[in-house]
Amino acid sequence: MKKLFVLTAAALLAGAAGAQAQAWPSRPITMIVPFAAGGPTDVVARIVGEHMSRTLGQQIVVENVTGAGGTTGITRAKQATPDGYTIAMGHMGTHGAAPALYPNLRYDPAKDFEPIGVAAGTPILIVTKKDFPATSLKEFLDHLKTSGPKLNEANAGVGSVSHTTCTLLQSLTGTKFTRVPYRGTGPALNDLVAGQVDFGCDQIVNLVPQIQAGTIKAIAIATKERSPSLPNVPTTKEGGLPEYEVSAWNAVFAPKDTPKEVTAKLVDALDKSLSDENTRKRLLELGGIIPEGADRGPQALQKLVESEVARWTPVLKAAGVVGQ
Amino acid sequence: MQSDVDAAGKPARQGVIRAPQSFFAGLALIALGLFAIWAISNLPQGTLGAMGPAMLPRWLAIAVALCGAALVVVGLLKEGEPLERWHLRGPVLVAIGIICFAVTIRWFGLAVAGPLALFIGGFGSDETRPKELLIFAILMTAFCVVLFRYLLNQPMPILIIPGTSIYI
Amino acid sequence: MSEIISNLGLGFTVALSLQNLALCFAGCLVGTLVGVLPGVGPIATIAILLPITFGLDPVGALIMLAGIYYGAQYGGSTTAILVNIPGEATSVVTVLDGHQMARQGRAGIALGIAAIGSFFAGTVATVLIAALGVPLTKLALVFGPAEYFSLMVMGLVFAVVLARGSILKAVTMIFIGILLSTIGTDLETGQERMTFGFPPLADGLDFAVLAMGMFGIAEILRNLEHSETREVVKARIGRLLPGLAEMKQSVLPILRGTAIGSTLGILPGNGAVLGPFASYTVEKKVAKDGSRFGRGAIEGVAGPEAANNAGAQTSFIPLLTLGIPPNAVMALMVGAMTIHGIVPGPQVMTKNPNLFWGMIASMWIGNLMLLIINLPLVGLWVKLLQVPYRLMFPSILIFCCIGIYSINSLPSDVVFIAIFGVIGYTFIKFGFEPAPLLLGFVLGKLMEENLRRALIISRGDLMTFLDRPISAALLAVAVLLLIIALLPTIRKGRDEVFVE
Repeated sequence: MKKLFVLTAAALLAGAAGAQAQAWPSRPITMIVPFAAGGPTDVVARIVGEHMSRTLGQQIVVENVTGAGGTTGITRAKQATPDGYTIAMGHMGTHGAAPALYPNLRYDPAKDFEPIGVAAGTPILIVTKKDFPATSLKEFLDHLKTSGPKLNEANAGVGSVSHTTCTLLQSLTGTKFTRVPYRGTGPALNDLVAGQVDFGCDQIVNLVPQIQAGTIKAIAIATKERSPSLPNVPTTKEGGLPEYEVSAWNAVFAPKDTPKEVTAKLVDALDKSLSDENTRKRLLELGGIIPEGADRGPQALQKLVESEVARWTPVLKAAGVVGQ
Repeated sequence: MQSDVDAAGKPARQGVIRAPQSFFAGLALIALGLFAIWAISNLPQGTLGAMGPAMLPRWLAIAVALCGAALVVVGLLKEGEPLERWHLRGPVLVAIGIICFAVTIRWFGLAVAGPLALFIGGFGSDETRPKELLIFAILMTAFCVVLFRYLLNQPMPILIIPGTSIYI
Repeated sequence: MSEIISNLGLGFTVALSLQNLALCFAGCLVGTLVGVLPGVGPIATIAILLPITFGLDPVGALIMLAGIYYGAQYGGSTTAILVNIPGEATSVVTVLDGHQMARQGRAGIALGIAAIGSFFAGTVATVLIAALGVPLTKLALVFGPAEYFSLMVMGLVFAVVLARGSILKAVTMIFIGILLSTIGTDLETGQERMTFGFPPLADGLDFAVLAMGMFGIAEILRNLEHSETREVVKARIGRLLPGLAEMKQSVLPILRGTAIGSTLGILPGNGAVLGPFASYTVEKKVAKDGSRFGRGAIEGVAGPEAANNAGAQTSFIPLLTLGIPPNAVMALMVGAMTIHGIVPGPQVMTKNPNLFWGMIASMWIGNLMLLIINLPLVGLWVKLLQVPYRLMFPSILIFCCIGIYSINSLPSDVVFIAIFGVIGYTFIKFGFEPAPLLLGFVLGKLMEENLRRALIISRGDLMTFLDRPISAALLAVAVLLLIIALLPTIRKGRDEVFVE
């Protein structure tokens, strides 16, 4: 009897060990999205994840782990077992601005992850309320210089993309304006439409329908080229402030020490999804920017992370913006 | 022993504390208020026109402490309810059951956390029948596994045996 | 007028297609069943079921999602009545009288009246949206931070009226609730308040955690000490559905609740959450015998449930007409729409009339389906109540644990429900009620944010709350209500009634 028991146990253990040798992926993969379901990052993650699931042959399940500007979810991803079954969708905030915003940050964006690749970026727009007395970027900047403190800027709170990007605007123009925080972009947008606040800097995803309907005004888009979804909005380059080039990029990361074979497969799956016509269509409809060629893949992402951290740290520190 | 009866037919309480429930509730509230004041003490209050992060919490804490003081006074002056008896079995076992769940769910999975919580928490009732509870715990966990993991697709670990790679 | 009819006609043609009907039904059914699980509120339900809709066309997917939404709302009310657990802020009020009715063996009646009231309110709200959708959005835009602050103050006064027993204790609970809502990261400065450096607290306490602990677990703990009385209660089941007398009692509350809920639901920034509380307050004050409330008064279920559902429907208005989600659930809907290729905005109505009117028509159909699905289910739920408590409460326990864990996968959330459960139990032992605390918690956050926001915009001018007419009016109403609430107490002297 005892022998039978020992043999069975040994067989089970051997089977378990053998299971490890099975090709990755042999069960669904969790993609941690550090923001609420329905938001821009979540939407990008789901669109891209859906196609990646097909390439990999296993479902990519999105798990929303929100909190602390996205850092809670990313910390969870860092601590996950690096076996390829947990990955994360980080973005400009979690892997660029976070070190400056959170002194007690428990991860290093450049060192604690294996970069997989940029998924899609959403350009930032400077928008104003309907009857703001400026139509071009130049007029807007003049207004900022003369009546800065009288102007109200809506953002989604410290640590959000809208807050961080307007901080950059503030430091680039050397102006000071009154910052009004909201709990999320929804309420902020609502007050902008209502005219309770004057302007804001936010991702294109939320703004396109409002601009097209004329409820708010778009002053400039912070990219090199105009966006196909908003062809009438000039770029900051055309408007005279080329240094203000920001996009809230979203990228896929895996925990450090994830095996090379696994990351290679992830890189390939991501690449295929970004070239898939249907996926591209949906991402472009959102106003997203899809990376091409040299901008794809792990090396490009690693460089991006390092350069973003270098870029945001002095700006945010100088503005005295500090989360905890 | 006391034969005096007050207007409501309840034995008049001897002693200073006429309404123990109010009295001790009040004391607890004062303690809570003071604790909160201490917890918020490191943050700036700002002015009424430019409120800082500590303004509202601090004044709320003061308000709570004041309410507590009012209750203490009421407890000394008016007749009221005595302190209710505390039952420990229920709260302690249920709390332990929940904590066992929290501690085991991520590292051992639902198949371990479920029965633990159900079995330990289940003992919180006076009427528990251990054998019945054990069977119920296993069946209920199975039901939850099917419901949450397979029907609803929740990313929840079912069974993890550390040291091996069994991860369901 | 004829335009509305033709638009509705278009809507019904879309909504009555076999596929969309089936999707609506599936959504309502699944939403109800998942929403009934203690610990899983409407937001969690939609998030869980969202992936199911991915393979569908946009209109179909949205109809299904909307069905899931009302289903989850109704399932949440069911949980509130049966096991005293509010899945969402709007169900807190249902708990007060609904659960008391269940303890008295009138669970079927409570559930039935909730279903009927919700159906009526949903019908009216649908007509409102169809007829007045666009003009109503302008109302939403008039509300700025100052107005919201005053609205929240008014809401907090409701909480005082809500109280069953001692006013002093209720006010204390409200203060503690607001205090608890300040825990977390300050929105304006990014500094952490009262978190003691504990990361899970960085974003503050979760409503679900607080509600589950203080209502669900605390109720379990309380029931565990009265094992004998529970058996007695269960023996008296009585009628399963509301009779004529109950319907008559509920007519006016339902009408009033619908009006209140529809109006408040339109306001972005979660104005809908006030609907049930306002309705409860109105009913309590209007009733001939206000002391019945909190002990199983049917008006306390009929009115708030109607307000709840009316608010849930009208909160689609800012989403469909402006494209701006008024609360977290609608934000999820926005995400869902975006994934399906429709970016919600002011032009959805004109560019996508099929979608807009189809959704509105299916709202009414969904309400009807909920009635059809839930009335028979009442019998099932009542049977479920007859399970011996020694097996029932561990089940509730495990569902709470799993439900809470599934929100953020944080074991600390689970530990918190244990802590709040014990705290809630302690409060009850001391004669405090948890409902005002929860209301304080929900409103406190909104109140403080809007207070500081209004002051930033007015550059520190406190008069802004009185200068703006709507804000001033709301504050006046709040003061008036407070006086009305306190008047009986002041007149009778401090004769406090300690309940339970």
